Amino acid sequence: MTDDIQVWMKVAAFVGGGMAMGFGAIGAAIGEGYTASKANEAIARNPQLSGDLFKTMLVGQAIAETASIFALIIAMLLLFSNFSHTSPLLIATFLAAGLCMGLGAIGSGIGSGLPTAEACIGIERQPQMKNRITTIMLAGSAIAQSPAIFALVTSLILLFIDFTGKPVSPTWAAILGAGLASGLGAIGSGIGEGLVAKSGCEGIARQPAGATRTTNVMLLGMAVTETTAIYGLLIACILIFKNFPAAESIAASMALLGAGLCMGIGAIGPGIGEGFAGQSAVKWIARNEEGTATLTRSMLVGQAVAESTGIYALVISLILIFVA
Amino acid sequence: MEELGRINQLIVPFFGHDMTFNIGVIVMTWAIFGFLLLFGYLASKSRRIIPGTVQVVGELFINQLYGLTEDAMDEELGKKYGPLICALFMFLLASNWCGMLPFMEEPTKDLNTPLSMGLMGFAIAHYAGIRAKGFKGYIKEYFEPIFFMMPLNLIGELAKVVSISFRLFGNIMGGSIIILVVSHLVYSILLPPFLNAFFTIFVGAIQAFVFTMLTIVYIAVQVK
Repeated sequence: MTDDIQVWMKVAAFVGGGMAMGFGAIGAAIGEGYTASKANEAIARNPQLSGDLFKTMLVGQAIAETASIFALIIAMLLLFSNFSHTSPLLIATFLAAGLCMGLGAIGSGIGSGLPTAEACIGIERQPQMKNRITTIMLAGSAIAQSPAIFALVTSLILLFIDFTGKPVSPTWAAILGAGLASGLGAIGSGIGEGLVAKSGCEGIARQPAGATRTTNVMLLGMAVTETTAIYGLLIACILIFKNFPAAESIAASMALLGAGLCMGIGAIGPGIGEGFAGQSAVKWIARNEEGTATLTRSMLVGQAVAESTGIYALVISLILIFVA
Repeated sequence: MEELGRINQLIVPFFGHDMTFNIGVIVMTWAIFGFLLLFGYLASKSRRIIPGTVQVVGELFINQLYGLTEDAMDEELGKKYGPLICALFMFLLASNWCGMLPFMEEPTKDLNTPLSMGLMGFAIAHYAGIRAKGFKGYIKEYFEPIFFMMPLNLIGELAKVVSISFRLFGNIMGGSIIILVVSHLVYSILLPPFLNAFFTIFVGAIQAFVFTMLTIVYIAVQVK
């Protein structure tokens, strides 16, 4: 029996590592390609700046790749670490860690490609603002990475925490649910934050005088857009650290798995939707100084309403964990 | 790798309950208090028209953060909440950056610190809301747009505390775990300074700013 579990642990580590890197490669590649396409466009319009634009493109692509590198770290850990003890729970852990990081890298990869692409266009349009636009691009794509960082945290906690002594029956579902909640939950917020940061870069290039207010509202909009990814992290933490009593029936396990799926999938839409709200608000605040206060408020209210579906998902997940 | 997730705890029995103190976090928090008090003393000790180095840094913080607060609220309320916002930002910045020094750890890496800061902001925002609109007007807000939206508005308010504190915690914790794991994988050759520059200095500063900005906005939304 022990040999059997060891074989399955190996299988799970291989499958998990493969899924981490496979899913993790999707987002960053799309983001980087988008950046390159916009950089080509910018160079075509203004060939004298090709040196600067080329540099900006490479820096931006390097940042967009961060999410994939996180996935690579997890895949390497899964493939090459020697885990000393054998436990059937480790099978679920490896699968969950791989899925979590792989799915979590998709959104941030795409998202952090958007501001860097717009920064290339912006530098072409307004070469004097190069330094300011580069700073905003770095800030925007760094914050767009945080959903991927949340997924990485969940994966590493899953890999390094000791589950021995916990009952196998509901805990395997809690582990898988935690991975799915954090991984799927990061997709929408990553893309949404990228949308907000994109219009921040664009706005500063169009209206350099309004750089400060545009930056502030952009950071605010991105922070609110990130909220649903944080709910995913929260549900993942609860599922990992709560002690569930042993239960033979499959229903208890499915409740935990369902909680993770509910929060994960439920966070995708609100993340993208809040991104749209923030995107247009930042875009118009850059152009219209008098409207800053009104637009900020309408952005926050709009994002709060868009987020309410994410809050419904959070409530249902909590009910599934604590009541069902 | 063994230090990952280890916390030094002091457990004190108290009338049948165990009270848990995270010693490292408390010591670090007090160290940062001490540093900030020293900074404040040095910055305001000999104020001159032509300022010294420390005074310039102090004035920079105060000017920028008062400006932010006054933009979001108004002149009068900005003066009232400015000191709070300055203190919050400087504390969070020092907390996020202190992990770079040897033998120091970020207090914000422990969920208790961001959560208490978030709860503080929550309490102050709602107190300000009650002061500004009166108790009746404050309660009425929860029944907008229709009365049965009340539970959801309530959960939405509580979710703000969760999101603001978990955002800071997740980013700082994530950064420090990444630095630890990658440094371990490359045997601390070449990469750690760059990782520290990005995750500690850059992300730390941005997250401190975002937390402060959100606290300002939460107060501003309540008073308007």
